[in-house]
Amino acid sequence: MDSQQHKSHRPSSKKEKGKERQHGFNEKAFAPKSGRKADRQGRRKVEQDQTRLHVPLVNRTPDDDPPPVIVAIVGPPGVGKTTLLKSLVRRYTKQTLTEAKGPITVVAGKKRRLTFIECNNDLSSMIDIGKIADLVLLMIDGSYGFEMETFEFLNILQTHGFPKVIGVLTHLDLIKKAATLKSTKKTLKKRFWTEIYQGAKLFYLSGVLNGRYPDTEILNLSRFISVMKFRPLIFRNSHPYLLADRIEDLTPRELVRTSEGKCDRTVTLYGYVRGTNLRMGTKVHIPGVGDLDIQGVSNLGDPCPLPTAESEKRRKLTEKKKLLIHAPMSDVGGIMYDKDAVYVNVPGSFSRGIVDVPQGEGEQMVMDLQDVDATLEDRVAQSQIRLFGSSSKTLTVNRSDQLQQKPESEDDHDNDLSTEGDVAEQSDLENSSEGDSDTEAGSSTLPHINTGRTSHRTNIRSLPSSGTARADIEYADSDSDLGEDEDDARTKLGHRIQFDEDDEDIPSDEEADMLMHGNEDSENDVPKWKANLSERAASASSKSTSKRKNWIKLIYSSDLSPEEILWGKSKHSEVEIGEDDFLQVKRKHDVDDLEGLDASKDPLDISSLKKWEDEEMLDSIRHLFITGGEGPNVEPASGFGEESEDQQVSDDKDDAASNPEQLTPDQVRATALAAKKEVLKRKFDEQYDDPETITEDFYTSRKEEINQQLAINRAEFEGIADGEARALVEGYRPGQYVRIELASVPCEMIEHFNPLYPIVVGGLLPAEERFGYIQVRIKRHRWFARTLKTNDPLIFSLGWRRFQTLPIYSLDDHSIRMRMLKYTPEHMHCYATFYGPVSLPNTGFCTFNSLSREASGFRVSATGVVLDVDRSTKIVKKLKLTGIPYKIFKNTAFIKDMFSTALEVAKFEGANIRTVSGIRGQVKKALPKPDGAFRATFEDKILKSDIIFLRAWYSIQPRKFYNPVTTLLLPDKSWTGMRLTGQIRRDEGLKTPHGVDSTYKPVVRAARRFNPLIVPKKLQAQLPYASKPKLMKSQKAQTYLQKRAVVMEPEEKKALALMQQMRALRKDQVARRKEKKSEKKADRAKNLEKEDAKKSEKDKERKKEVMKMAGMQRKREAEAEGGRGARKRRKT
Amino acid sequence: MAQPSSILHFSGHQYLRSRLVLSILSGKPVRIDKIRSEDKNPGLKDYEISLLRLLEKLTNGIEIEISVTGTAILLRPGVIMGGVLQHECPLSRSIGYFLEPVIMLAPFSKKPVNLTLKGITTDKHDLSADILRTVTLPHLQPFGISEGLELRIKRRGASPGGGGELQFLCPIIKQVKTLNFIDAGKIKRIRGVAHAVRVNPQFSTRMMEASRSLLNRYIPDIYIYSDVYKGDESGKSPGYAMTLLAETTTSAIHCSEAISQPGVAPEDIGIAAAQALLSEIEKGGCIDRRHQTMVLLMMVLGSEDVGRCLMSEPTSKTIQFLRDIKAFFGTSFKIVSADQSNLDCTQLLYSCYGTGYVNSNRTLA
Repeated sequence: MDSQQHKSHRPSSKKEKGKERQHGFNEKAFAPKSGRKADRQGRRKVEQDQTRLHVPLVNRTPDDDPPPVIVAIVGPPGVGKTTLLKSLVRRYTKQTLTEAKGPITVVAGKKRRLTFIECNNDLSSMIDIGKIADLVLLMIDGSYGFEMETFEFLNILQTHGFPKVIGVLTHLDLIKKAATLKSTKKTLKKRFWTEIYQGAKLFYLSGVLNGRYPDTEILNLSRFISVMKFRPLIFRNSHPYLLADRIEDLTPRELVRTSEGKCDRTVTLYGYVRGTNLRMGTKVHIPGVGDLDIQGVSNLGDPCPLPTAESEKRRKLTEKKKLLIHAPMSDVGGIMYDKDAVYVNVPGSFSRGIVDVPQGEGEQMVMDLQDVDATLEDRVAQSQIRLFGSSSKTLTVNRSDQLQQKPESEDDHDNDLSTEGDVAEQSDLENSSEGDSDTEAGSSTLPHINTGRTSHRTNIRSLPSSGTARADIEYADSDSDLGEDEDDARTKLGHRIQFDEDDEDIPSDEEADMLMHGNEDSENDVPKWKANLSERAASASSKSTSKRKNWIKLIYSSDLSPEEILWGKSKHSEVEIGEDDFLQVKRKHDVDDLEGLDASKDPLDISSLKKWEDEEMLDSIRHLFITGGEGPNVEPASGFGEESEDQQVSDDKDDAASNPEQLTPDQVRATALAAKKEVLKRKFDEQYDDPETITEDFYTSRKEEINQQLAINRAEFEGIADGEARALVEGYRPGQYVRIELASVPCEMIEHFNPLYPIVVGGLLPAEERFGYIQVRIKRHRWFARTLKTNDPLIFSLGWRRFQTLPIYSLDDHSIRMRMLKYTPEHMHCYATFYGPVSLPNTGFCTFNSLSREASGFRVSATGVVLDVDRSTKIVKKLKLTGIPYKIFKNTAFIKDMFSTALEVAKFEGANIRTVSGIRGQVKKALPKPDGAFRATFEDKILKSDIIFLRAWYSIQPRKFYNPVTTLLLPDKSWTGMRLTGQIRRDEGLKTPHGVDSTYKPVVRAARRFNPLIVPKKLQAQLPYASKPKLMKSQKAQTYLQKRAVVMEPEEKKALALMQQMRALRKDQVARRKEKKSEKKADRAKNLEKEDAKKSEKDKERKKEVMKMAGMQRKREAEAEGGRGARKRRKT
Repeated sequence: MAQPSSILHFSGHQYLRSRLVLSILSGKPVRIDKIRSEDKNPGLKDYEISLLRLLEKLTNGIEIEISVTGTAILLRPGVIMGGVLQHECPLSRSIGYFLEPVIMLAPFSKKPVNLTLKGITTDKHDLSADILRTVTLPHLQPFGISEGLELRIKRRGASPGGGGELQFLCPIIKQVKTLNFIDAGKIKRIRGVAHAVRVNPQFSTRMMEASRSLLNRYIPDIYIYSDVYKGDESGKSPGYAMTLLAETTTSAIHCSEAISQPGVAPEDIGIAAAQALLSEIEKGGCIDRRHQTMVLLMMVLGSEDVGRCLMSEPTSKTIQFLRDIKAFFGTSFKIVSADQSNLDCTQLLYSCYGTGYVNSNRTLA
């Protein structure tokens, strides 16, 4: 290599030109030459700037420690999805997966983790994946082209928020010819670009080597994935969700056995929280299962944590190779998750003390179980409190039974662990929540600590902090933790015990408080209080409690009534004292008076206002006014004084930081002065800086605002060390690995669980739990072959949910009414209204007529957006009532056959009616005689033959039909919902019932007969001649021309005879010619017939041959198909 | 078809309004029983029934079931509709009782609310029309509800005769803005309204003079409007009252009110109002004490960000409200002293993580 020498450049022989001799940047070079060009350049610059802008959206996912990015691999079967998945996993973890099932989480870099999930060809899976994927690797068979599923998937993506898509073209090695390859790539790229956007990334993967794609190509792809930036999608940014990567059934085995597996299950799902914070008390929807209540959530240790600087430093060289992967549904990482057991494979030498080495989930679990932070005695005491009665006993017996069945080798291993337990005790626990749950887990397994082992089965049940969520009492306990972050250090009692004491604890707080209040408030009218005060004060001071009330604890985790909290109302014990009787009655009285009214204004207490007559008192609040200057002791609130909103965040922190340390007066003065100067400087800057430079555009200012708010969000609850308490206030943040316990899950979900079908847990907003009528704007997809009919069942994919419902289509009729449409219009939006779960307005959706694989053609039938949610609908359809006049006066007519009773007429009094010919009128009043007849007036005289119309509007309600698509509950995941009547008839082989009235009969219309017009003789006589009826009868008598006799001359006779003879000859000639022609025609027909017969004979023989060939081919095909699984493909 | 949603259960007649409001906003059905079951006069009072009727008018699809004895109600909330409405309030309570819950609901309705309420405008139990107009509505401004928000006092009506009329106009919003109000500021001005109906108009001047005598020492910027209604607009009973409010540099508002009592001179009323204002000011915080619940509710309904607010100590109503919020929305507040080092500090910093409530009733088209 070194020997290779590059030829050096020859120095240029030409002389440098004048311009080139100039040094530095040539300013003229980029200056526009003309004004027009300058204008164009300017505009281009602005345009470029504008493309940079997007609507600023808040990203709820934290930047530090975000959840793994979900990378979905989607494509038709046989395109190489699994191969790509395995290749990618190998690229990141250097492990080869034997079977890749379910989500696989790997660490991709310092700041990024990836969760790979393969999407099967099922439409339901594609919908679910489309809703959660952050990045889609869309695989296309290069040798085949796009398939219908690909387009369907893209359409699903479009309606549910478009994630990033990278196209991956495979099977390119099957195209042998270079030119064909090039053109194929080009056409596919073009089509791909029209679907995604111009310039969308499309990867080409050549052939498969060793069951993987070439490493360099995968490396390139992984680089693209790692630099991918994601924009928050609105729906995901307002809902918490997780992609479950593990599912466990917690139902007691006995219950399952007795109910033969048919009982509702308690199920835990594991996964990273994504989207927004997962809060307590929300419902979740699992697409394919239904709405479920969260029984409990607990935060688990991250099974696949991001590398930190520390962990990188500690990592040993031998472990460099072992990269993290978390894929509980497939067999990797030494952990196998069976249905009800977890098998942990601990490789090589395993030592207890090393905490920083990233351990597998299972190892961590086993170690956590051994972390004991309380003495045995405490535990025993606790366990007595916790496990009441005999249940605990039976539990232990069972467990010991299991113990004996364990194989010997595992025993050894566990003993190892237990001996190292004390080491772990010294090594501190990461957070107290872990510790909490650990103690509980420990307490339940306490009797066995001597043996130092627990069976695997119990392991699952007592995962870190699993116990906390399950038992109610314990949960309440964690409630009480909320406020203890400050007090914990002082009152270092066991949590559980402390809670039991709360009853006495809290009042004592108030008693102390009462001391304070009692002095300043005018308690003169209750002298008894004071008498008691000293005793109470003594008792209060004896207990070491803080002086300040802990409001959070008092409000959220005590049973005291609000009045008791505020005024420290005497407890039951004090009632018995008897001394307070007087006070008791009085307070009771005025409290009742207040509450009885639910008043928002407390009455003016004149006595307490008395203090304001004191001059000193009046002066004491002078500092609260702008005229008052700095008060003697500046109130904390005014400490922030005069500072603008954006400064408050930092100031707040500063305050918190500076307050604890005691500052000398000098320092205080100095800081105050500095702050003052700062304010003045800012004011000066505001006034004198160029206002144009300061004013930011909307985009930057909005972004700035968002960032500030996010900073506040991060800072506010950072201080709460206790994870459980923090979760109570703000929920579980995105990026945390949690375990969600769900109760009463249909047993089919567990029984027919298939890791190939993704389980998405979508959090619901409170509004989305409700049901109502939803109005949407909808448009039939132009690739969907048929039109959609009102009240035909349609499968919606809306929000997290997939459900079938019966929409009614409508159009706005002149903004007056919503008029029902029987069918969706072509190429046009219309409204649809259906009954179903509420979704927020502006949520996109797509619909399907059928989800089955057999359905031909494009399955996305319509797309649209939610407009409105309501509890009632106002859709009408036209109803025309007809009647006929039976008596006609001048402008009045009696109409019958429109209504059947007078009551109906009364309802329609004043309604507009119309004749066919367009004469308008009004319904007046019912007539007594024929039932339902009425009097009506018209603008003109109507005819007896006129039909009278009344155009009315009949309101219709969508049917309350909501049928969730429960694909995950089915063994083969192929769901059929409500079928159309025609479909049922076809399936059942039923004939369509035919109403007699429905048949079309020939319309027989009697010819209209008009009577002759007779004009009376007298009148006729008076008429002028032109108007007189003319008598037009045929003449009976012969005319002269007919009557006269003709006598001819002999020459004339001769001429006439000759003429007659010539005519006769001519006639004969024509007749003969005609005869001859017809003879010839018949001859020709005969010949043709003969030829045809010959031809058809030949044709028949040929057809026979063809059919024979076809039959044989079909036979061969059928044989071949029986051999291997039929692979169905639908060409676009 | 609809899944049986969990019904929240409460007992007692207290805090009925806030529970109804929370139920309608959160969409969770609520069952309240033991309503004055021990009382001589058990069951719902006429004004409570009237409130339920008003809520029925305001919403669509609401189901209210009242037990035979009237001691229990079950409310299944519907969609808040809004629109042009009218309601006749009974004379047992003033209009403030009815308007308070409506103010909490109105921004989340489908159509802008235009509600006309008739009854008593000022009494001693509920927020008077003046407080509602000058204090309650400005409290909504930091939440982004300001444009088109208005309360018009068409007529005044003192108790017991009533005869007043208020018109409440409220726009609809998509989402409530997050509140970050931790700077109480200093009081820069004092405003007030002294109104008198069917009494000598001199009374209002006398009240003004008296209150000025106390407040003038603090600040010169005091302006008290004398609001005398006459003739048809003055309702059916005589009465007068004084409402004072102090605004700080950060536009935090504190208010007080004193109402005419038989046998008390107007001067005493004026002094009492001023003194009450001073005690309000002394309590501090950014929010008036009577409006704590409303502000806390709006904080909870804010976007999914941390909202913070400095307030004085909670009232009993507020404490129960916080508990109810936890039941309905699952949100709990972090309440810490504003100044950790100062033990005497009575001001508290309330912070919570908003639920990200979006007005789902709003129509898009």
